[in-house]
Amino acid sequence: MANLVLRDLVKSYDKTEVLHSISLAVEDGEFVVFVGPSGCGKSTTLRLIAGLEEVTSGTIEIAGRVVNNLEPKDRDIAMVFQNYAIYPHMTVRKNIGFGLRSSKAPKAEKHKRIESVAELLGMTAYLDRKPSQLSGGQRQRVAIGRAMVRDPAVFLFDEPLSNLDAQLRTQMRLEIKKLHQRVGSTIVFVTHDQVEAMTMADRIVIMKDGHIQQVGTPAEVYHQPANTFVARFIGAPAMNMIPGVARPGGGVALSTGGTLDLGRALPEGRDIILGIRPEDLHTGHDTAVIEGAVNLREPLGHETLIYVETANGDVIAKADGRTPPEVGEVVHLGAAPENIHVFDAATGEALR
Amino acid sequence: MKLYRDLTIRQKQIAWAWAFLAIPVLFYGVIRFYPTGNAILISFQDWNLLGARTWTGLDNYQKLFADPVFWKVFRNTFVYLLLGTPVSLVISFVVAYHLDKTRFLHGFLRMLYFLPFMTSAVAMAWVWRWFYQPVPIGLFNNFLASLGIPQINFLNSTTNALPAILAPAVWAGLGFQIIIFMAGLRAIPKSYYEAARIDGVSTWTVLWEITLPLLKPTIVFIVVFSSIGFLRIFDHVYNMTTQNPGGPLNSTKPLVLMIYQTAFNSFDMGYAAAQTVVLFLVLLVVSLLQLRILRDR
Repeated sequence: MANLVLRDLVKSYDKTEVLHSISLAVEDGEFVVFVGPSGCGKSTTLRLIAGLEEVTSGTIEIAGRVVNNLEPKDRDIAMVFQNYAIYPHMTVRKNIGFGLRSSKAPKAEKHKRIESVAELLGMTAYLDRKPSQLSGGQRQRVAIGRAMVRDPAVFLFDEPLSNLDAQLRTQMRLEIKKLHQRVGSTIVFVTHDQVEAMTMADRIVIMKDGHIQQVGTPAEVYHQPANTFVARFIGAPAMNMIPGVARPGGGVALSTGGTLDLGRALPEGRDIILGIRPEDLHTGHDTAVIEGAVNLREPLGHETLIYVETANGDVIAKADGRTPPEVGEVVHLGAAPENIHVFDAATGEALR
Repeated sequence: MKLYRDLTIRQKQIAWAWAFLAIPVLFYGVIRFYPTGNAILISFQDWNLLGARTWTGLDNYQKLFADPVFWKVFRNTFVYLLLGTPVSLVISFVVAYHLDKTRFLHGFLRMLYFLPFMTSAVAMAWVWRWFYQPVPIGLFNNFLASLGIPQINFLNSTTNALPAILAPAVWAGLGFQIIIFMAGLRAIPKSYYEAARIDGVSTWTVLWEITLPLLKPTIVFIVVFSSIGFLRIFDHVYNMTTQNPGGPLNSTKPLVLMIYQTAFNSFDMGYAAAQTVVLFLVLLVVSLLQLRILRDR
């Protein structure tokens, strides 16, 4: 059963429409990550679901009922904010308990719930501390605890990891994912970090300029990007985009020189863009068509990224970590045809 | 020059620091600390501003503590403080709280509230003095008369005069306090309120358990600041009771006015200095107490 359904959701501020008819169904227990560059509407969508902003048109359904006109507290949701929004003058216990303030459960029951949430998050020892006495990760846990104690139908996370340092972020990422596996609740998570999206999500929603670009599992959006935006946004370093023209008989004349046979039928004469991920582009390939001198090397240990200068700008390719080509050396790069993505140059849509 | 070049970096920094500090140090020494020390010294002496100073020991203080006028004035000063500070605190918070949420004419309204703070206290006192006059001159009494309510003696009554003088003093300080409160309110992250909305607590709970505790540093600042202001009240009183400053029957006289009269009407500098020292100690004790009580425990 879908736990959260967005139908033709539109949001405008005065005359500016920032969300253009978003539709999405989130299954019960699913971990959905909204990702996109800043200003793409992902946070707005989350705030609409939370009820912090009013819907201009369209509907939001949570657990089977339309919640458009319900106050946030009546929507059966809980939210974790980017700056945690935990109150500095209250102890951890009071902060977690704040989520239960409006609940009519008896005091002992509330107490038990706070204790059990604290235990689940490993915060029992810190219940009587103030937030100023906690580390960044612990504060994050308090914020999550405050959401959990409400036992909502949907959890909303608004870029909760962006205030943490890189190491802690990786750790909290794992913790949230583990928590999700254990608790099995529905989560909508907003981030601008595609790595977070890839590692945590059951499904990723990629947004740009108030439109959904693609919805799919991490594998789908990575291996079958719907358009050039998704292709470049997901994966680091970004996918190489090489313009070309489809020739009769399945070949593609590349702007970098040479012709590549993809072995599939393409509309003849059409301007297209070939997308090749750096890890798919390497030397020593029998269909090597891209030729150029190495500009720059980025050794990563297990592999080395090489920036190869071509007639149409640099392309990034992967080389061996131990014996990478020298800077200035001319290399021949190629990729397996099944790993080459083809996009329409005019619309940016994938041609499959 | 060679001497300077041979200094270590740290010594050079110290030399420069003192070069820049020289003017404020000189200023504070001559304009602030020397007179303060001198006032304390004079409080143990007898001096009429022109003649020789004679050492009298604790005479001035003994005279002061035996003076019924001093105790009356002392009490008045604390009434100004204990009425003025809480009243202005509550009014300024209520205004700031609502003004913060108002979008319509926000800048204009804020300007209106700030205007009295920029106005000369003397001019304001005289306008209010006019408000308080009996019919047919005074605004308030005219208004009361038109409703058929009997006249109220504002400035000529020993019970009404002090609150009547306090009112414009509170009003004059409001603008400043409102601006400070609004800055404090703006500094509270929006997400605190959004989180509370999602948790579904009442507006009242948000006010008492989120807004006010988070405003504590602002409140401490305003309380200390306005307390000092009310303990030093002078110009409103002096200008609204010019014929008989501090009257009627000393019922509105604050400590500063008593000091002024002792020094520049009676030319009893030693006695005035003793009163000044007492005022200084009162200010010190009240400020320290407030900081102690209101700061984080």
